[in-house]
Amino acid sequence: MLKIKNLHARVEEKQILKGINLVVNAGEVHAIMGPNGSGKSSLASVLAGRENYEVLEGEVDFDGKDLLDMSPEDRAREGLFMAFQYPIEIPGVSNINFLRTALNEIRTYKKLPALDAKQFLRLSKEKQKLVEFDAKLVNRSLNEGFSGGEKKRNEIFQLAMLEPKLSILDETDSGLDIDALRIVASGVNKLRSKDNAFILITHYQRLLEYIVPDFVHVLYNGRIIKSGTKELALELEEKGYDWLKETFQEQTVQL
Amino acid sequence: MTKQITIPLYEDLLNGFNNTSIHGENETIQEARRNGFESFKRLGFPTRKNEDWKYTGITPFLQEQYHINGIAKEAEISAALINQASIPSLDSYRLVLLNGQLQTPIDTLPDFIRVKSIREAKENVDLVKYFGKNTDVNSFHFAALNTALFSNGLFLEIDAKAILDKPLHIVHAFTATGNLFIQPRHLIVVHSNASLSVIETVVSENPLSKIFVNSLTEVVVEENACFDHYVMQIAQIGTRLVHQTDVSQKRHSVYSNYTFSMPKADLIRNNLHVSLDDDQTETHLYGLYLGEGQQLIDNHSFINHKRPNCNSNEIYKGVLLDKAVGVFNGKVFVQPDAQKTNAFQQNNNLLLSNKATINTKPQLEIFADDVKCSHGATVGQLSKDAMFYLRSRGIGEEAARALLVNAFAFDVTEKIKIPALEQHVNHLIAQHIPVNKN
Amino acid sequence: METNDQIIQDITSQEYEFGFITDIEMDRAPVGLNEDTIRFISQKKNEPEWMLNWRLKGYEAFLRQDMPIWQNFKLPHINLQGISYYAAPKTKKKFNSLDEIDPELLATFEKLGIPLNEQKALSGVAVDAVFDSISVATTYKEKLSELGIIFCSFGEAVQEHPELVRKYVGSVVPHSDNIFASLNTAVFSDGSFVYIPKGVRCPMELSTYFRINAENTGQFERTLIIADEGSYVSYLEGCTAPMRDENQLHAAVVELIALEGAEIKYSTVQNWYPGDKEGRGGIYNFVTKRGVCRGANSKISWTQVETGSAITWKYPGVILQGDNSVGEFYSIAVTKNKQIADTGTKMFHIGRNTKSRIISKGISAGHSNNSYRGLVQVGPKAENARNFTQCDSLLLGSECSANTFPYIETKNNTAMVEHEATTSKIGEDQIFYLNQRGINTEKAVALIVNGYVKEVLNQLPMEFAVEAQKLLSITLEGSVG
Repeated sequence: MLKIKNLHARVEEKQILKGINLVVNAGEVHAIMGPNGSGKSSLASVLAGRENYEVLEGEVDFDGKDLLDMSPEDRAREGLFMAFQYPIEIPGVSNINFLRTALNEIRTYKKLPALDAKQFLRLSKEKQKLVEFDAKLVNRSLNEGFSGGEKKRNEIFQLAMLEPKLSILDETDSGLDIDALRIVASGVNKLRSKDNAFILITHYQRLLEYIVPDFVHVLYNGRIIKSGTKELALELEEKGYDWLKETFQEQTVQL
Repeated sequence: MTKQITIPLYEDLLNGFNNTSIHGENETIQEARRNGFESFKRLGFPTRKNEDWKYTGITPFLQEQYHINGIAKEAEISAALINQASIPSLDSYRLVLLNGQLQTPIDTLPDFIRVKSIREAKENVDLVKYFGKNTDVNSFHFAALNTALFSNGLFLEIDAKAILDKPLHIVHAFTATGNLFIQPRHLIVVHSNASLSVIETVVSENPLSKIFVNSLTEVVVEENACFDHYVMQIAQIGTRLVHQTDVSQKRHSVYSNYTFSMPKADLIRNNLHVSLDDDQTETHLYGLYLGEGQQLIDNHSFINHKRPNCNSNEIYKGVLLDKAVGVFNGKVFVQPDAQKTNAFQQNNNLLLSNKATINTKPQLEIFADDVKCSHGATVGQLSKDAMFYLRSRGIGEEAARALLVNAFAFDVTEKIKIPALEQHVNHLIAQHIPVNKN
Repeated sequence: METNDQIIQDITSQEYEFGFITDIEMDRAPVGLNEDTIRFISQKKNEPEWMLNWRLKGYEAFLRQDMPIWQNFKLPHINLQGISYYAAPKTKKKFNSLDEIDPELLATFEKLGIPLNEQKALSGVAVDAVFDSISVATTYKEKLSELGIIFCSFGEAVQEHPELVRKYVGSVVPHSDNIFASLNTAVFSDGSFVYIPKGVRCPMELSTYFRINAENTGQFERTLIIADEGSYVSYLEGCTAPMRDENQLHAAVVELIALEGAEIKYSTVQNWYPGDKEGRGGIYNFVTKRGVCRGANSKISWTQVETGSAITWKYPGVILQGDNSVGEFYSIAVTKNKQIADTGTKMFHIGRNTKSRIISKGISAGHSNNSYRGLVQVGPKAENARNFTQCDSLLLGSECSANTFPYIETKNNTAMVEHEATTSKIGEDQIFYLNQRGINTEKAVALIVNGYVKEVLNQLPMEFAVEAQKLLSITLEGSVG
């Protein structure tokens, strides 16, 4: 589904991705872990197409299409979804109107008929229930005055509504208490299927107790320095990142 | 004081007064005309040295040879012109004025509301009682000129305790075959405990001729009365509007003004003056201006808190495209007697083009101590983060921009109490937000 | 409410503590203003011809201009022909050491809390003392000159560093800027001059202390500060005047120039005689202060505490010409009795990524009129300009007024400009809360006012923050909102 080959990128003169290689297939859940400043969130931003990130080298294939060539909205329409680490507040844009616009733009792109108000509401109700999202929040302005947890849950609700192929959850667990984390995780688990895939970007192993990944990658200094299965996450939890950094630095020296 | 002889129009207007027959008018009105005339003779047209006209040079708009007042041939009112004013799915009564002249037949209105052309109503007790009482002809150039030389207009009053069941839509249509300088004059009286909602829509045709409209509306809101006053300005290129509204509010009254200045007209200058003449009044002024092309839109408001325990709330939002220039000047004046005043004022602007200009000057002048007054002004552009967020959800750039501009205007549009009008305004905004105009 | 009235009464009867007169022999110019006056001053100061010519240009510009009419208060008639434009203590031309200064003068400055004796001086502060029109002493001069810093009277700079003066004087405030600046150009008598060389961080606060003493004079000093590339200086000015029944005019000009990477911090504690409670006497403080951030990454910061003068009329501004330059304005203006203060700032954003920040706190009492008037202008090339403005007004008493006149002019669509203003009185509930905790009303007000102005006081150099706080508490002694 997603093939990242030798991806280099920079933001404001600073190179932050230095050759990422990653393949994600349908039905898989990948966790990307790493210390602060390793480039985890930058990877998410580059994939979603944030303007101030400049790709220097490499390619990204998304279901046979060149992802890097597309505008942010076309990436979304092709089925890429990013749950933001800091979802933005937009006063004056109602949550529901926003979602309906988004859903229908995606449907139009896919040459599907737009949903009418009734169909949309039915779908919305169904998904709200699925991800335990408060109906009151649906009718408010987009994220305005939402608590940190409510914002993250809104991201998962949008994920449920837009039914993307690939979802990237950028530190969705940060700042969540244990109940909110459980709700978010159970939402994701319900949405998992053999046809879609997830990339979980996280600093802590905690989230992975709830959403069990098929693969775990460690990102450090703009590169994936180690990949493994879910056991790797446990090892990281126990030993921290330093042992990996050391090995990595030795390798670099030898090179 | 100020030399005006450089503008031929000034001379024409002075002569115009001498030739106008004011005989047969009520003595009060004749008196008001004479005062207005003397005052205009002294004041002339404002220049940019006048603090209230610092950002709006009026002189370029006065250079044409204008026919003054109703001299132009009364044109047929075209369906296209009326259509411009129509608001889809609005359920309302409707009146049409062409070049300030009330058109017949008019919709059947309930008995408790009376509509007359201001010249016909000359002996009406209330007209005589209220006419010119709340307009300061000594300091306002255009108000003086209008008072001296107004052609015709509307006199509208609603009886005490009456409630009009649906909005009254007044269409002010302007058309001309040559250049026209026209001065309509209106008076609206909302008697005590009455409730009225009026939508005034200003439209004009787009001929090669220039139309200068210097209109003045006096509004009286009596005790406990409630008046929702909507003004839609959707005039065409070639039209210049100087639009003054002088409002007087009595005890416990509520006045809400919503002014929407839309693209095209060369110049829109609104002077909205609200005088809080008694205790415990409530005032809301909402405005939205959307400037395009070379347009100049200038909103001046003045809220005069004279008595205690009054609340005023003002929110104006501006969106400027192309080479448009926006001006906002909101003055809140709190007199020594006006203790326990709450006054809030806000002006936000979006500059969507690198050639657009905004000049904003909110101002507070406060002479009482037990008050809560605040104001704020901002100038900015659409947030890049918000744009990215919307686009990352599959919403295209154009749609995202329209969503965000509508959201920007939301603080004003959500206050519209007539759903059909709210929808119409949102539609007009979306229509004028172009692609890739950053 | 009775206590409130009582306390308002107290404010109005507060005496001005620096109102004494020093009896000293003066050298004066004849009363009146004409070309001869200007030649007289120039000759007295032994000036080169270019300086005289520039003064005459200023005079011509002055003659062409009318008194301003845009203010929202009534400007009293000022008889510019009725004052003497030069008054200096009669002594020998140059002091070789402090010992040669008239002891009466030294005593005056001691009394004002400005000891000119270096042993007694505030540590870490170099002072230039200006008495009427003339700089009488500059302390720590030698120590500063070791670093290449020039800190001297303006007159001395004209003699010793003519190339620097000629290059920069009038480059920020042109001779025709406004009627009072033109007048100053024509007749300015002295003032301070500062030059900080490249890369030097001035190790101490530089300070000028102005004192108007002579009767029937005006004070027209001129300050010029140049911070060369990468340098830093913090400068403070203070001022007082005796109590006199007639009004005296103070029309100073201050020019600041910050070259690439330089920073200038300019603080003012203005305590000119404000007139009595009937509004008799007091200084007309009509000052033009402007800085230019000429080089990239430079910064100019104005801080002012304005408590004196019958009328204060000044807008210290910054021209943000260099890319990434920063302008700041922090102000506290307190008015009581019949004082008028119309003050604020002008920020001109010209370069890219320029930033400005304006914090203004007005406090009005008595029958006074206190206005903030400010301009934020963003030019078409000022990409990513940012401004934030916060103006608050506090009203103590029902006879005073507080006004806010912000002007925002933006011609660039990447600019972000934010202005916020509030006007209120001290909350009764706040006072009650403090009363309930055992604090009397007077202290409670002082506490609240101090909290209210803290953001600005924090900008002042430490020694002066204390002084300013004292000044505020004296000015508002016994006040309750």
